[in-house]
Amino acid sequence: MSEIKIVNARGLACPQPVVLAKQAIESHEQVKVIVDNDTALENVKRLGTKLGCDVKVEKKKDGTYEINLTRMAGVAGAKEEFVPSCSATSAQSGPFVIVIAEDKMGRGNDELGYVLIRAFLHTVAGQAKKPDVMIFYNTGVKLTVQGSEVLEDLKQLENAGVQLLICGTCLNYFEIKDKLAAGTVSNMYDIVETMGSAGRLLVP
Amino acid sequence: MKVQPQYSVMLFKAVSYVLKAEKILKKEGLPHKLIPVPKYISSDCGICLRFEPAMQNKIEASLLNKVEIEEIREMAD
Repeated sequence: MSEIKIVNARGLACPQPVVLAKQAIESHEQVKVIVDNDTALENVKRLGTKLGCDVKVEKKKDGTYEINLTRMAGVAGAKEEFVPSCSATSAQSGPFVIVIAEDKMGRGNDELGYVLIRAFLHTVAGQAKKPDVMIFYNTGVKLTVQGSEVLEDLKQLENAGVQLLICGTCLNYFEIKDKLAAGTVSNMYDIVETMGSAGRLLVP
Repeated sequence: MKVQPQYSVMLFKAVSYVLKAEKILKKEGLPHKLIPVPKYISSDCGICLRFEPAMQNKIEASLLNKVEIEEIREMAD
């Protein structure tokens, strides 16, 4: 067994950790990469898998990760170039959240805005990569009650596992709480927490 | 395999036509849905009306001489 090459990639900015890991595994059978963030962890794991390595991850108490890459005999590495992803994805750093703050999209013309928000929600519902959570507040809650023209889309999203949080204060203000037809009544605590922990937050 | 409902879409020359048609259909209680124009039809940022093919005659009749329809297409899945 050859010695294990240790790559200390702590404190390095993306894509540095994965570049160093790649160099190391090209000249060593076994490499231990130490990283301190989720993006680097995911990139190095992905690199290892792509190169046909055995990948083992150990989470350390200090919040760092040790990724052990072992080249497997007889497995040819991938030919194509590995592209590290430096932007955080939802799986790595928190949920993908869409905030519907109004029953229209954009400012300037309300009639057009109402057309756009319906087209937006219909399109979101048809996307392969759906949000994890959608938050509705202010006039946005009007889209979630009986008679709403986007209920079909919202129900499709719910069935696909998207969590719909509807501002209870807002339903109450518009006196439509008893007409809620999609999602669950929520409160400012959940809304703030969800927005705060979002990996990506989109407000149309 | 789940059978998907089949739909048709009605295309118009301008957004204002879509809105006018929508108002008429709402008033007449004819089921329809405003959706973005499917990508395979046009890459423009357009909107159109989607409906079940069974409703086509009624919808066309209600819009006759009121809103000019550009085209009716069946939706591909």
